[in-house]
Amino acid sequence: MEALVKLSFYCFAATSIAIVAASACYVSFAAGRFRVRARVAPLSFSGAPSGSSVSTVPTGFGSGPTAASLGEFGTMLAWFGLAFQTLSLGMRITASRSAPSNMYEFSMVFVFAVLLIYLLFERSYREKHLGAIVLPIAVGMAAYVWSLPAESREVNPLIPALQNQPLMTTHVSLAIFGYAAFAISFAAAVLFLIVQRRPMSWLPSAAMLDDIGFRGVTIGFPLIALVLITGSIWAHRAWGAYWSWDPKETSALFLWLVYAVYLHTRSLRGWRGTRGAVILILGFAATIFTYFGNYVFGGLHAYGGV
Amino acid sequence: MSVDRPALSETRPDSARPSTGRRTASRTAGTTSPSRGWGDVVIDRVWRFFCSVRAAIWEVAFLATLMLIGTLRGSSVPRSLADAIPFTSPLVDRWYAWDVYNSLLFMLTLALMAIATAVGGMFNRASGIWKAIAHPTVPTTHRFLRGTGGNLFLASASPVSTTAAGLERDLRERRYRVLIQTRGDEVHLYFDKNRFSRLGTFPFHIALILFMVGGIVAAQFGFREMAFIIPEGESRAIGHGTDLAVRLDRFEDTYVESGLPAEYTSYLTLLDNERPVASDAITVNDPLTYDGVTIYQSSFGQAVQIRVTDLTGAALYDGAVELGTFTSSDNPDALAAVVDLRPAGVVLTIIAPDQFPIKQPELDRLQLADQEIYVRARYTGSPGGQEMRAAVLATRQTADLGAIRVEFLRETRFSLFQVASNPAIPLFIVASIMLLGGLMVTFYFPHRRIRGIVSPDSVGDGSKVHLAPLAKRDWGGHRQFDSLVNALANGPSLNLLDTTTKQPAAPGA
Ligand code: HEM
Repeated sequence: MEALVKLSFYCFAATSIAIVAASACYVSFAAGRFRVRARVAPLSFSGAPSGSSVSTVPTGFGSGPTAASLGEFGTMLAWFGLAFQTLSLGMRITASRSAPSNMYEFSMVFVFAVLLIYLLFERSYREKHLGAIVLPIAVGMAAYVWSLPAESREVNPLIPALQNQPLMTTHVSLAIFGYAAFAISFAAAVLFLIVQRRPMSWLPSAAMLDDIGFRGVTIGFPLIALVLITGSIWAHRAWGAYWSWDPKETSALFLWLVYAVYLHTRSLRGWRGTRGAVILILGFAATIFTYFGNYVFGGLHAYGGV
Repeated sequence: MSVDRPALSETRPDSARPSTGRRTASRTAGTTSPSRGWGDVVIDRVWRFFCSVRAAIWEVAFLATLMLIGTLRGSSVPRSLADAIPFTSPLVDRWYAWDVYNSLLFMLTLALMAIATAVGGMFNRASGIWKAIAHPTVPTTHRFLRGTGGNLFLASASPVSTTAAGLERDLRERRYRVLIQTRGDEVHLYFDKNRFSRLGTFPFHIALILFMVGGIVAAQFGFREMAFIIPEGESRAIGHGTDLAVRLDRFEDTYVESGLPAEYTSYLTLLDNERPVASDAITVNDPLTYDGVTIYQSSFGQAVQIRVTDLTGAALYDGAVELGTFTSSDNPDALAAVVDLRPAGVVLTIIAPDQFPIKQPELDRLQLADQEIYVRARYTGSPGGQEMRAAVLATRQTADLGAIRVEFLRETRFSLFQVASNPAIPLFIVASIMLLGGLMVTFYFPHRRIRGIVSPDSVGDGSKVHLAPLAKRDWGGHRQFDSLVNALANGPSLNLLDTTTKQPAAPGA
């Protein structure tokens, strides 16, 4: 068991290295394009649209060779990171035979979830620029894991109230996957605002970024709804009340409402776009607040320990 | 132009044409008719407020703000604000003092939103949405198609009727509903997919209202007792209009090495009118439910069984006393309790032996041995209420403390439960399913719509297909349209002339 816990941590170290390198690649992919483009712009961007498909959606492909291969490296490294993180979590779960129960484990799952969801988006939209924002978020979370005291890496038994395994696993993992989806929306919103301010032809179109932001919410919003529901079932079993206005509960509800505001803005002409993007950014701030809530709240959820 | 309008408004169902008389009235009131009375104007304004998605945004944002204020109240964030900016400290004090979730403002906000959700989120949109599902307008114009920003032309070698039939066949195969109308020598097309997804918003918004109703039902007809204590071997009535009582037959606990409880179990018998109706072993995550009443294991502790009599032998107290409800300055590390026998002029304090003898032994002024208790009687009727008598008792010992006699029968334990009844649970379950189902349908099966016109080519016997997605500001809709058209163009049924014609139509073409 001890050995597995250690090995799991070594895998996480490998993930950390992979995603730091991936971040560097993605960021220089986004920035490096800028240099390459500046040089060749008059030649390759003089107006010939990609005529081979019937696409009416500007896709923004095509750039210098160096930059493009940096993007490929980024993707490859991110997949490496995901693979190691999967191993790491698998070993951890085998060793502890329990659902994630402290900030160390939550954050490990977060790194996994954000990599997984990001890579799926990257595949679906064939769009790598988001990586320059999402991967650094994953790195930030990994850095937070490294900053935790070594004791938190040990496997501890849970107090009885947290021992309802399947429900707790569902509750916690759904929340973390929801947060990870919101991280994608956040990245899309930031890029959206950049593109709105200064259209840059090599960045994805504002319309596509708007769609990515929305897709992120269509994953995160129902997940957080499920989190609130499973959480109240769990609270009912453990504490005897479905809803007790505990700060951790209310902060999740607050988070959910922020995204409800966002979803309403999509049906209003003047609100769609810039204001929607600003709400997505606020929403991610609320996500981080909810995630690290254990540090500022007392209350029932403090039982698991930070 | 006149054909354009209904089609355009379909893309924004919230602004669909007036669906109720009231709404129609509001339009005339707002714009042309000065002869309307005050009352009508006010009603129109209110109605419009409830219908407005813009207002809904502010309402939800306001509710979110209240939630945030309430959430932060459970943290030290306001405190640190006050520490950083001293003049905010009166405000921060009020902040901590304000019970947001039980405030009138919070209730009013919820009530307002429930009405707005019903009126604006559903009632006002119902007929517009139903029209888009059941009777969409088929005829359109080239001008409208160009206005969508995603239109394109395909040139077919076949005549109009063959091309239209080919399109129809292809799209039906792809599970689209196809509606066709012939106008002169043109054929107008409307096809869509997942049209019932538009209804998803109804179960979702109804679920929100149901949650609020459930909250009211639970508060009105349910009850919840946080500290329902039963000593081992005794029973206690639940009350709250039930005839139920709970008996704690036995209590068991096990510990892990570090001293944390690993598991504790209460063996309960439930009595209905003193007749046993259920018995179960309950643990922290495994409550007992009977007839809508649920009993949860919450915690447990030490108790002592005592009997107190006056000098004539009449019983003043006979039962268990839960320790740990009181801390005595005679030994802060020990479990203690107070038994209030004030009708008899006595208040008893009971103190158990030190729990952690190695921790601060100098504070222990009693130095009790295992299985002993310290009992002190204070006579409230005495001068200044300060007359006291005390004794140390071992199990089965009796002591006379002035006007009373105390017998220490034995050590025992108590179990702490929560007892709750929430009649709104079925409502919550239904609401949860509706909420999730509605969201999934809306998000994952979006209504996709395409309009088109097949017209004869100006040269030759071929035809021209003009298609456009109804997906204003919807990148995903455009993407799906593009891949659909790609697939259609590569299929045989359209008999396309040449792939080079599959270009996005230039503006004004
Ligand atoms: C205050 C009254 C409310 C009104 C008038 C209202 C109205 C609406 C309208 C008109 C839409 C459809 C927009 C479209 O068709 O694109 C909508 C969508 C939505 N609303 Fe509301 N709403 C209200 C309250 C809420 C609340 C409290 C929440 C969540 C906590 C919420 C969550 C949503 C979501 C998630 C959607 C998008 C999915 C869907 O169309 O069902 N709404 N709302």
